[in-house]
Amino acid sequence: MALRSGTLGALRSGTLGALRSGTLGVEAAAPTIAPQEGAVAESSTEFSADRPWTTVVWNDPINLMSYVTHVFMEVFGYPRSRAEKLMMDVHTLGRATVSTGTRERMELDVNTLHSYGLWATLQQDA
Amino acid sequence: MGFGRPCSKTLEPVKVTRRRGVVRLILESVEAEILTGLFDELNDAFESLAPEDAVYQRLYPDGHRDDAAIAAQFRDLTESLLHDERTERLGQCRAEIVASTTTEPGQKLQIGLGPEEARRWLQVINDLRLAIGTRLGVSEDWQPVEPDAPDAQAWAIYSWLSGLQEALVDAVSS
Repeated sequence: MALRSGTLGALRSGTLGALRSGTLGVEAAAPTIAPQEGAVAESSTEFSADRPWTTVVWNDPINLMSYVTHVFMEVFGYPRSRAEKLMMDVHTLGRATVSTGTRERMELDVNTLHSYGLWATLQQDA
Repeated sequence: MGFGRPCSKTLEPVKVTRRRGVVRLILESVEAEILTGLFDELNDAFESLAPEDAVYQRLYPDGHRDDAAIAAQFRDLTESLLHDERTERLGQCRAEIVASTTTEPGQKLQIGLGPEEARRWLQVINDLRLAIGTRLGVSEDWQPVEPDAPDAQAWAIYSWLSGLQEALVDAVSS
Protein backbone atom coordinates (compact mmCIF):
# COMPACT_ATOMS: atom_id res chain seq x y z
CA MET A 1 0.00 0.00 0.00
CA ALA A 2 1.86 2.98 -1.22
CA LEU A 3 -0.57 5.64 -0.12
CA ARG A 4 0.67 7.26 3.03
CA SER A 5 -1.87 7.87 5.72
CA GLY A 6 -1.33 11.59 5.46
CA THR A 7 -3.08 11.75 2.13
CA LEU A 8 -6.27 10.41 3.61
CA GLY A 9 -7.06 13.75 5.11
CA ALA A 10 -7.15 15.24 1.67
CA LEU A 11 -9.39 12.47 0.47
CA ARG A 12 -11.83 12.91 3.29
CA SER A 13 -12.09 16.57 2.67
CA GLY A 14 -13.56 15.82 -0.66
CA THR A 15 -12.44 13.89 -3.67
CA LEU A 16 -16.04 14.05 -4.69
CA GLY A 17 -16.65 17.00 -2.44
CA ALA A 18 -17.79 19.11 -5.32
CA LEU A 19 -20.20 16.61 -6.78
CA ARG A 20 -23.04 18.57 -5.35
CA SER A 21 -21.93 22.02 -6.29
CA GLY A 22 -20.37 20.91 -9.49
CA THR A 23 -16.70 21.71 -9.65
CA LEU A 24 -14.25 19.22 -8.12
CA GLY A 25 -11.49 21.64 -8.86
CA VAL A 26 -12.02 21.06 -12.52
CA GLU A 27 -13.11 24.35 -13.90
CA ALA A 28 -15.96 24.78 -16.29
CA ALA A 29 -13.58 23.95 -19.11
CA ALA A 30 -14.13 20.28 -18.39
CA PRO A 31 -16.33 18.86 -21.09
CA THR A 32 -19.81 17.95 -20.06
CA ILE A 33 -20.66 14.42 -20.93
CA ALA A 34 -24.36 14.88 -21.21
CA PRO A 35 -26.11 12.00 -22.90
CA GLN A 36 -29.17 14.04 -23.77
CA GLU A 37 -27.23 16.61 -25.69
CA GLY A 38 -29.15 17.62 -28.75
CA ALA A 39 -32.46 16.28 -27.57
CA VAL A 40 -35.36 18.16 -29.08
CA ALA A 41 -38.38 19.22 -27.15
CA GLU A 42 -41.07 18.14 -29.55
CA SER A 43 -42.66 14.80 -29.95
CA SER A 44 -43.00 14.41 -33.65
CA THR A 45 -42.39 10.72 -34.01
CA GLU A 46 -45.16 8.83 -35.68
CA PHE A 47 -45.78 5.50 -34.10
CA SER A 48 -46.69 2.40 -35.94
CA ALA A 49 -47.48 -0.93 -34.36
CA ASP A 50 -45.55 -2.89 -36.97
CA ARG A 51 -42.27 -1.02 -36.74
CA PRO A 52 -40.11 -2.65 -34.09
CA TRP A 53 -38.56 -0.82 -31.19
CA THR A 54 -34.90 -1.17 -30.46
CA THR A 55 -32.50 -0.56 -27.61
CA VAL A 56 -29.39 1.34 -28.65
CA VAL A 57 -26.20 1.64 -26.57
CA TRP A 58 -24.03 4.70 -27.22
CA ASN A 59 -20.31 5.07 -26.82
CA ASP A 60 -19.07 6.85 -23.73
CA PRO A 61 -15.54 7.47 -22.48
CA ILE A 62 -15.93 6.05 -18.98
CA ASN A 63 -17.38 2.55 -19.16
CA LEU A 64 -14.67 -0.08 -19.59
CA MET A 65 -14.76 -2.31 -22.65
CA SER A 66 -14.56 -5.43 -20.50
CA TYR A 67 -17.43 -4.21 -18.34
CA VAL A 68 -19.68 -3.40 -21.31
CA THR A 69 -19.04 -6.88 -22.73
CA HIS A 70 -19.82 -8.41 -19.35
CA VAL A 71 -23.08 -6.44 -19.07
CA PHE A 72 -24.24 -7.58 -22.54
CA MET A 73 -23.57 -11.20 -21.57
CA GLU A 74 -25.26 -10.89 -18.20
CA VAL A 75 -28.30 -8.83 -19.19
CA PHE A 76 -29.10 -10.43 -22.54
CA GLY A 77 -27.48 -13.83 -22.11
CA TYR A 78 -25.45 -13.27 -25.28
CA PRO A 79 -22.42 -15.49 -25.85
CA ARG A 80 -19.08 -13.75 -25.39
CA SER A 81 -18.43 -13.51 -29.15
CA ARG A 82 -21.68 -11.63 -29.78
CA ALA A 83 -21.27 -9.44 -26.70
CA GLU A 84 -17.74 -8.50 -27.77
CA LYS A 85 -18.89 -7.71 -31.31
CA LEU A 86 -21.61 -5.40 -29.97
CA MET A 87 -19.16 -3.78 -27.57
CA MET A 88 -16.71 -3.14 -30.44
CA ASP A 89 -19.53 -1.65 -32.53
CA VAL A 90 -20.33 0.73 -29.69
CA HIS A 91 -16.65 1.57 -29.32
CA THR A 92 -15.77 2.05 -32.99
CA LEU A 93 -19.07 3.08 -34.59
CA GLY A 94 -20.37 5.03 -31.63
CA ARG A 95 -23.49 2.94 -31.18
CA ALA A 96 -24.98 -0.52 -31.44
CA THR A 97 -28.48 -1.94 -31.43
CA VAL A 98 -28.46 -4.49 -28.64
CA SER A 99 -32.07 -5.68 -28.52
CA THR A 100 -35.31 -5.47 -30.48
CA GLY A 101 -38.94 -5.95 -29.42
CA THR A 102 -42.00 -4.18 -28.07
CA ARG A 103 -41.76 -0.69 -26.63
CA GLU A 104 -42.44 -2.04 -23.13
CA ARG A 105 -39.72 -4.63 -23.47
CA MET A 106 -37.25 -2.02 -24.72
CA GLU A 107 -38.12 0.30 -21.83
CA LEU A 108 -37.25 -2.54 -19.52
CA ASP A 109 -33.94 -3.17 -21.32
CA VAL A 110 -32.99 0.50 -21.30
CA ASN A 111 -33.83 0.74 -17.62
CA THR A 112 -31.70 -2.32 -16.86
CA LEU A 113 -28.77 -0.93 -18.83
CA HIS A 114 -29.08 2.42 -17.03
CA SER A 115 -28.92 0.52 -13.77
CA TYR A 116 -25.54 -0.82 -14.94
CA GLY A 117 -24.48 2.69 -15.92
CA LEU A 118 -24.52 2.18 -19.67
CA TRP A 119 -25.79 5.00 -21.88
CA ALA A 120 -28.80 3.40 -23.57
CA THR A 121 -31.89 4.73 -25.33
CA LEU A 122 -34.92 3.21 -26.97
CA GLN A 123 -36.16 4.13 -30.40
CA GLN A 124 -38.60 2.97 -33.02
CA ASP A 125 -36.95 2.04 -36.28
CA ALA A 126 -37.97 3.98 -39.36
CA MET B 1 -11.26 22.20 -3.91
CA GLY B 2 -10.42 20.10 -0.94
CA PHE B 3 -7.16 18.59 -2.16
CA GLY B 4 -4.63 19.14 0.54
CA ARG B 5 -1.80 18.02 -1.64
CA PRO B 6 -1.33 15.87 -4.67
CA CYS B 7 -0.87 12.16 -4.35
CA SER B 8 2.88 11.67 -4.52
CA LYS B 9 2.61 7.93 -5.03
CA THR B 10 0.05 5.95 -6.90
CA LEU B 11 -2.40 3.65 -5.23
CA GLU B 12 -1.72 0.00 -5.75
CA PRO B 13 -4.41 -2.11 -7.39
CA VAL B 14 -6.96 -3.76 -5.16
CA LYS B 15 -6.56 -7.52 -5.04
CA VAL B 16 -9.50 -9.58 -6.26
CA THR B 17 -9.37 -13.38 -6.26
CA ARG B 18 -11.77 -16.11 -7.26
CA ARG B 19 -11.90 -19.59 -5.80
CA ARG B 20 -14.70 -22.14 -6.13
CA GLY B 21 -17.09 -19.58 -7.54
CA VAL B 22 -16.57 -17.07 -4.75
CA VAL B 23 -15.01 -13.74 -5.64
CA ARG B 24 -12.96 -12.29 -2.84
CA LEU B 25 -12.16 -8.65 -2.46
CA ILE B 26 -9.05 -8.08 -0.36
CA LEU B 27 -8.67 -4.57 0.97
CA GLU B 28 -5.99 -2.88 3.00
CA SER B 29 -7.58 -0.95 5.83
CA VAL B 30 -6.58 2.32 4.17
CA GLU B 31 -8.31 1.20 0.96
CA ALA B 32 -11.44 0.33 2.91
CA GLU B 33 -11.38 3.80 4.42
CA ILE B 34 -11.02 5.39 1.00
CA LEU B 35 -13.94 3.36 -0.35
CA THR B 36 -16.29 4.09 2.54
CA GLY B 37 -15.44 7.78 2.26
CA LEU B 38 -16.18 7.74 -1.46
CA PHE B 39 -19.41 5.79 -0.88
CA ASP B 40 -20.54 8.42 1.61
CA GLU B 41 -19.78 11.21 -0.82
CA LEU B 42 -21.63 9.42 -3.59
CA ASN B 43 -24.58 8.86 -1.29
CA ASP B 44 -24.66 12.58 -0.51
CA ALA B 45 -24.49 13.26 -4.23
CA PHE B 46 -27.45 10.95 -4.91
CA GLU B 47 -29.50 12.99 -2.46
CA SER B 48 -28.49 16.43 -3.60
CA LEU B 49 -27.47 16.55 -7.27
CA ALA B 50 -29.52 18.96 -9.34
CA PRO B 51 -31.19 17.43 -12.42
CA GLU B 52 -29.23 19.76 -14.70
CA ASP B 53 -25.91 18.63 -13.23
CA ALA B 54 -23.75 16.69 -15.71
CA VAL B 55 -23.21 13.89 -13.18
CA TYR B 56 -26.95 13.58 -12.62
CA GLN B 57 -27.54 13.46 -16.36
CA ARG B 58 -24.91 10.75 -16.74
CA LEU B 59 -26.42 8.64 -13.96
CA TYR B 60 -29.97 9.17 -15.22
CA PRO B 61 -29.75 9.62 -18.97
CA ASP B 62 -32.76 10.29 -21.19
CA GLY B 63 -34.48 7.13 -22.34
CA HIS B 64 -35.04 8.51 -25.84
CA ARG B 65 -32.60 10.64 -27.77
CA ASP B 66 -34.92 12.67 -29.96
CA ASP B 67 -38.39 12.46 -28.50
CA ALA B 68 -38.78 14.54 -25.35
CA ALA B 69 -42.24 13.16 -24.59
CA ILE B 70 -41.04 9.56 -24.63
CA ALA B 71 -37.98 10.56 -22.61
CA ALA B 72 -40.24 12.22 -20.01
CA GLN B 73 -42.51 9.19 -19.78
CA PHE B 74 -39.51 6.94 -19.37
CA ARG B 75 -38.11 9.17 -16.66
CA ASP B 76 -41.44 9.11 -14.79
CA LEU B 77 -41.41 5.33 -14.91
CA THR B 78 -37.83 4.68 -13.93
CA GLU B 79 -35.98 7.56 -12.30
CA SER B 80 -37.05 7.31 -8.68
CA LEU B 81 -36.83 3.51 -8.69
CA LEU B 82 -33.32 3.68 -10.11
CA HIS B 83 -32.39 6.25 -7.48
CA ASP B 84 -33.65 3.92 -4.73
CA GLU B 85 -31.81 0.97 -6.25
CA ARG B 86 -28.56 2.93 -6.42
CA THR B 87 -28.89 4.12 -2.83
CA GLU B 88 -29.73 0.65 -1.54
CA ARG B 89 -26.87 -1.16 -3.24
CA LEU B 90 -24.39 1.54 -2.19
CA GLY B 91 -25.50 1.05 1.42
CA GLN B 92 -25.15 -2.72 1.10
CA CYS B 93 -21.58 -2.50 -0.18
CA ARG B 94 -20.70 -0.02 2.54
CA ALA B 95 -22.18 -2.32 5.18
CA GLU B 96 -20.10 -5.24 3.84
CA ILE B 97 -16.93 -3.21 4.30
CA VAL B 98 -17.91 -2.20 7.82
CA ALA B 99 -18.84 -5.79 8.73
CA SER B 100 -15.46 -7.06 7.47
CA THR B 101 -13.43 -4.47 9.31
CA THR B 102 -11.16 -5.91 11.95
CA THR B 103 -9.67 -4.10 14.87
CA GLU B 104 -6.28 -5.71 14.45
CA PRO B 105 -3.83 -3.25 13.00
CA GLY B 106 -2.37 -4.18 9.64
CA GLN B 107 -5.02 -6.82 9.07
CA LYS B 108 -6.55 -6.91 5.61
CA LEU B 109 -10.28 -6.99 5.04
CA GLN B 110 -11.69 -9.88 3.07
CA ILE B 111 -15.12 -9.62 1.53
CA GLY B 112 -16.53 -12.75 -0.11
CA LEU B 113 -18.91 -12.07 -2.96
CA GLY B 114 -21.40 -14.49 -4.50
CA PRO B 115 -22.80 -13.72 -7.95
CA GLU B 116 -25.42 -11.26 -6.64
CA GLU B 117 -22.96 -9.40 -4.46
CA ALA B 118 -20.34 -9.27 -7.20
CA ARG B 119 -22.87 -7.75 -9.59
CA ARG B 120 -23.83 -5.17 -7.00
CA TRP B 121 -20.19 -4.24 -6.38
CA LEU B 122 -19.59 -3.85 -10.10
CA GLN B 123 -22.58 -1.52 -10.36
CA VAL B 124 -21.60 0.54 -7.33
CA ILE B 125 -17.96 0.94 -8.38
CA ASN B 126 -19.17 1.90 -11.83
CA ASP B 127 -21.55 4.50 -10.39
CA LEU B 128 -18.55 6.00 -8.59
CA ARG B 129 -16.48 5.97 -11.79
CA LEU B 130 -19.31 7.61 -13.73
CA ALA B 131 -19.61 10.35 -11.12
CA ILE B 132 -15.90 11.08 -10.75
CA GLY B 133 -15.12 10.57 -14.45
CA THR B 134 -17.90 12.91 -15.53
CA ARG B 135 -16.75 15.53 -13.05
CA LEU B 136 -13.17 15.19 -14.30
CA GLY B 137 -14.29 15.46 -17.91
CA VAL B 138 -12.82 12.10 -18.90
CA SER B 139 -12.63 11.73 -22.66
CA GLU B 140 -11.52 8.97 -25.02
CA ASP B 141 -8.06 10.44 -25.38
CA TRP B 142 -7.30 11.64 -21.90
CA GLN B 143 -3.72 12.24 -20.95
CA PRO B 144 -2.05 11.42 -17.65
CA VAL B 145 -2.14 14.46 -15.40
CA GLU B 146 0.89 16.03 -13.82
CA PRO B 147 1.40 14.92 -10.23
CA ASP B 148 1.05 18.47 -8.98
CA ALA B 149 -2.11 19.26 -10.93
CA PRO B 150 -4.97 20.35 -8.69
CA ASP B 151 -7.08 17.38 -9.68
CA ALA B 152 -4.27 14.80 -9.59
CA GLN B 153 -5.72 13.18 -6.48
CA ALA B 154 -9.12 12.70 -8.13
CA TRP B 155 -7.45 11.26 -11.23
CA ALA B 156 -5.50 8.83 -9.06
CA ILE B 157 -8.71 7.72 -7.39
CA TYR B 158 -10.44 7.39 -10.75
CA SER B 159 -7.63 5.21 -12.13
CA TRP B 160 -7.58 3.13 -9.00
CA LEU B 161 -11.34 2.53 -9.21
CA SER B 162 -10.93 1.60 -12.89
CA GLY B 163 -8.37 -1.03 -11.89
CA LEU B 164 -10.73 -2.39 -9.25
CA GLN B 165 -13.56 -2.51 -11.78
CA GLU B 166 -11.38 -4.34 -14.31
CA ALA B 167 -10.24 -6.85 -11.67
CA LEU B 168 -13.86 -7.48 -10.60
CA VAL B 169 -14.95 -8.04 -14.21
CA ASP B 170 -12.04 -10.46 -14.70
CA ALA B 171 -12.96 -12.34 -11.56
CA VAL B 172 -16.66 -12.71 -12.38
CA SER B 173 -15.97 -13.68 -16.02
CA SER B 174 -13.27 -16.26 -15.37
